[in-house]
Amino acid sequence: MSASSFLGLLVNNPAVILMVGALMCIATPRHLASLIMLAATALSATKLYSMGLGEYGTIMVFGETLTTVRIDALSRLFVIVFHIAIALNIIYAWGGRDRAQNFATLGYPAAAVGGVLAGDYITLFIWWEIAAITSVFLVWAPGTRATYVAGMRYLAIQVLSGVLLLGGIVLIFRETGSLEFNLIGLRDADGAIKFSALVIFLAFGIKSAFPLLHNWVQDAYPKSTISGTIILSVFTTKLAVYSLARGFAGTTELIYIGAVMTIFPIFFALIENDLRKVLTYSINNQVGFMVVGIGIGTAGALNGAVGYAFCNIIFESLLFMSIGAAMFRTGTSKATELGGLYRTMPITMMFCLVGALSISAFPFFAGFVTKGLIVDGAAEAHMFWIWLTLLFASAGVLEHAGIKIPYFTFFAHDSGKRPKEAPLGMLIAMGISAVLSIGIGIYPEPLYALLPHQEQIADYKPYTAYHIIEQLQLLLWAVLAFAVLILIKWYPPEVPSVNLDTDWFYRVPGRGLVLWAAGASRATWNATWRVLSDQIQNVMGRIYAVHGPEGQLARSWPIGFMALWTSVVLALVLILSFLA
Amino acid sequence: MSDDNQHGHEKGWADNPIFIRGFLGALIISAVAAAAAGFNPAWQNPHHHFTGEHMPGFFATLWRLATPVFFAIYGFAAFAFIVLAGQHLRKLVARKEDYYDERE
Repeated sequence: MSASSFLGLLVNNPAVILMVGALMCIATPRHLASLIMLAATALSATKLYSMGLGEYGTIMVFGETLTTVRIDALSRLFVIVFHIAIALNIIYAWGGRDRAQNFATLGYPAAAVGGVLAGDYITLFIWWEIAAITSVFLVWAPGTRATYVAGMRYLAIQVLSGVLLLGGIVLIFRETGSLEFNLIGLRDADGAIKFSALVIFLAFGIKSAFPLLHNWVQDAYPKSTISGTIILSVFTTKLAVYSLARGFAGTTELIYIGAVMTIFPIFFALIENDLRKVLTYSINNQVGFMVVGIGIGTAGALNGAVGYAFCNIIFESLLFMSIGAAMFRTGTSKATELGGLYRTMPITMMFCLVGALSISAFPFFAGFVTKGLIVDGAAEAHMFWIWLTLLFASAGVLEHAGIKIPYFTFFAHDSGKRPKEAPLGMLIAMGISAVLSIGIGIYPEPLYALLPHQEQIADYKPYTAYHIIEQLQLLLWAVLAFAVLILIKWYPPEVPSVNLDTDWFYRVPGRGLVLWAAGASRATWNATWRVLSDQIQNVMGRIYAVHGPEGQLARSWPIGFMALWTSVVLALVLILSFLA
Repeated sequence: MSDDNQHGHEKGWADNPIFIRGFLGALIISAVAAAAAGFNPAWQNPHHHFTGEHMPGFFATLWRLATPVFFAIYGFAAFAFIVLAGQHLRKLVARKEDYYDERE
């Protein structure tokens, strides 16, 4: 390949444009960073728009064709919302001076964009790993020991996902002879699980935080900086959702995995005191809805899954942003230390409520017009228990994201804190997110036009009487239950605590095991060394006795020295002659 | 908690009993209205996927009777269950805030 065509390949990849912008943030004056990042995002978006649907940037490597940029209906939807999220995050963190964090603010989403656009496994793998490495700078950004250790744990898990992906790719290539990234499916024609597919499934599963593989999210994300947590919350899990939608649509196992994902975080979120951590459990729960939709795999459920991913990125970020603003002003995100902020942060409170209503899927908000597709998908597939589970989980979303987040931050007991309203950059970012959340809810057609299965969505009407009534019954009566529990004082108070989750296994016994293994190998080494050094000392002692100043052959130093060297040289000659 | 905060604990509009009563009243009225609306046949889902016909007799009748307000009952019950049952998870997993600090 010529140098100019390689250059063309790079310039024509939106992800590379973003990555160049990220690298420029390291080299240019700090106060220009936000401007450069926004310009790079605009340039990348323009590039995407001008390219339109199609496959670009194909290269031949070792006789295999790689498609570095594939824009179809599925990838287009994700890159559009990724660009919206990037722009909002830059505005939210406007004026940030930390070079490493500025780099990651753009470099990490760039990798996610690259991964979504990848048309083959090799390109996907490369961006997959870049996403892991760039994102860890956000976890490390606060610069404390706790964040350093958490960042290492995070990196280990992310790289493990990458290694599994690479292993799966090798296996799949051996089976099919193709590197094209399309539908994989977990089972072969006979219904047996394909090992190669299973390995890739696990790689995607780690990044999308399947149950028991989920806890890196809660471990790493809330330890980042205020804006870092928001950026992290968007990309890794949604890149994984995209990958599942691409590779494993209609995989029945995903329905059950997703259903569990929607349920268990609800209970952890209920008892969690750190509101940013509550929202990380909310990520698990929300991704669960998407995973169920992908697993059902009908046109409607798939439209719902990816459409919901689009909306979720906007309103979940909005919730993270409003808690971030409260934290920026008060220094804490703990429910026990917050409360009553509505007095002095009314605009942030309004934006938070919009996010809460959207994620709870109240009619005329973004969640409603896409979540219904997933729930209806389960009903149309006659999956009664899955349908019931999704409705139960919807009540759970209302509890932890719809009520707990705004209630304990802005209302509940008065913390006595009277912080200023959020800074302008934060308000603008939250404002745009809120407008989008309501806008999509009232007028979903532009979003629907982006969904991959147009034949299905053409017949779908979100605002039928029964859709609205059923949803309002579910949500209003759940809010009523909340009011009753508060009035009769049965709603549990927030308690400052750390709640154990699966990370306990590797943070306490796992770490203990590693420390024990390190100690044991150190002790073994020391013992071996002691025995060896004793023997060497012995030998040296004997040589000293003969050749030393007091020795037989050392009436004077030079003689002893010469005798010693003579014997050494003789020995060497002997060995050499043997070898020759 | 910053009780020594110079602004003190003055009441805001959300602490006003009139607002609280108004909010609760509006909530109850709209919740009841949503439940009542479920009984209008014109507003019901024309193609119910779960009609309860495979259930044993008693449950089938119950299912049919409850269908217009199924979402209301289920929403209330699910929420109450999550809060009342979920808080007991604390007994199993809650630790002191410095739990990991001591161990890492």
